[in-house]
Amino acid sequence: MLRAISLSVDGRLRDVSLGVCGGECVAILGPNGAGKSTLLRALAGLLRAAGSVCWMGTALERIPYIERGRRLAWLGQESAAEFAFPVRDVVAQGRFAHGDDNQRIDEVMAALDISHIANRSITELSGGERRRVFLARALATGAPIQLWDEPTSSLDVRHALEVYALARNLANSGDSCVLVSLHDIRAAYRFDRVIVLDQGKLIVDGSPHDVLTAPLIRQVFLVEARFLTSLVPELPGIV
Amino acid sequence: MPKIPLIFTGFILLLLFALGASLALGEAMLSPVEVWEAIWGDGDDSSRIILFDIRLPRTIVGLFAGAGLGASGVVMQAYFRNPLASPGLLGVSSGGALGAVLAIALGSVLGVFSVPMASVAGAFMATGAVIMLARKGASPEHLLLAGVALNALFGAATSFLLSMSAAHTHLGAQILFWLMGGIENRTWEHVWMSFPGILLASLLLLPLGRPMNLLALGDSGAQSLGVNVRRLRWQLIVLSTILTALATAVGGIIGFVGLVVPHIIRLTHGPDHRRLLPLSMLGGASLVLLCDLPTRFLGSGMRLGVITSLVGGPFLLWLLRKRPC
Repeated sequence: MLRAISLSVDGRLRDVSLGVCGGECVAILGPNGAGKSTLLRALAGLLRAAGSVCWMGTALERIPYIERGRRLAWLGQESAAEFAFPVRDVVAQGRFAHGDDNQRIDEVMAALDISHIANRSITELSGGERRRVFLARALATGAPIQLWDEPTSSLDVRHALEVYALARNLANSGDSCVLVSLHDIRAAYRFDRVIVLDQGKLIVDGSPHDVLTAPLIRQVFLVEARFLTSLVPELPGIV
Repeated sequence: MPKIPLIFTGFILLLLFALGASLALGEAMLSPVEVWEAIWGDGDDSSRIILFDIRLPRTIVGLFAGAGLGASGVVMQAYFRNPLASPGLLGVSSGGALGAVLAIALGSVLGVFSVPMASVAGAFMATGAVIMLARKGASPEHLLLAGVALNALFGAATSFLLSMSAAHTHLGAQILFWLMGGIENRTWEHVWMSFPGILLASLLLLPLGRPMNLLALGDSGAQSLGVNVRRLRWQLIVLSTILTALATAVGGIIGFVGLVVPHIIRLTHGPDHRRLLPLSMLGGASLVLLCDLPTRFLGSGMRLGVITSLVGGPFLLWLLRKRPC
């Protein structure tokens, strides 16, 4: 569904190759500056990169811009909010490539718990609320490839869990894949697959239980990891 | 969105009122009936002459200069994602001013039209510089700094010419008048010089309102949603500089219209560019025409550019007091 071969971005990303199939939910881990955002941007075609990227079997450069908007959705870390657009209008922008048909909007706003602020201006929202609005915009596209750059970084624990559940449901529903960059190593266990980047290089790629070992965590993150039993928050109904 | 037609009706009525007032009011007052008759070729000769030779060209120039400045302001604010951006930001109007001032200082060689012609040349020179930078893929920040540099350069040259001409009272006054903007004594040649370009650029701009909404919330986001951001930015900069150049060439520097009109409409009707663009065109045209009225009665000191700023500034302050940005 999404394939990259020898993807390089001067100094920030070195020779990264990966393939993601429909139904997969992938976490990208790595310390600050490891190249997580750069990888997601390069996969989304948002920056010039050497190597090749394919979306659903077509080379990226052969996909017209408007079609890109239908195939892939990208959520960046920062979002400009200089102009007072109402929340609903921002989410509706997700339908740009579909001729503003207003489909799915109410559905994704409910899923991200922002229906009650639909008419508020994005300039008035908290960081976490704004994050959910832009995630809703990405989801509203209905694009089968979803790339989210640290979607949970400013969210409270419940909304963060809901975002992981959303990613899981999207992947489970069939022909979608979700790539999410994360800082929380523990959250990576909620994903099928983990990719660890360090200094622009792909270090490991596999199931979290196989690849997230104490030596790897020591090598990449320069911290010790140990197993412990403690309270783990879950959404109601899961425990 | 059923509210849209109502909003547009309001703005169109305002513009029609401004147009009517601009045709009727002046040293020689015409009644609405006289205006109507003169438009259709009836009525007496003097009202026909006043209407066709004086009022109509002045009104049409004001209409298109105002609409162009309003639209150009919207574009610059979206382009730089900054509500403080104005049409003159990139040096286009100061380039136009320099051209005009140069023509005045050197004396007319080509007759009445040397001034607007020189202004168009100056503005397009600045436009060319900006577009060349934009084509090389300069970031908005680079363009902004280039605009600061161009504005400083053209401003210095204009000041130099102004101080050189100050000794010749007549020339100095003419230059100052031009720098403060105005649409009096406009002829049909001014109309033909500005209106086709402004109309075409405005029509090409209107469909860009939809992708501009996405651009306003970030380049990468817009591109990921299906916008060719590079092409859009290029189109926006070309169209907005053309609008500013032509409006400046026929109206001088009409301050504040391009800044305050989009701002006021954004505060009252929201930031959706599909609405903001046409409403700012209607609003800019109305503001220029209405502010031109007092210049006909208040003597030579009250120039159009002075009045637009005198009216626009306090109004914006009042709106901001009511509802913070």
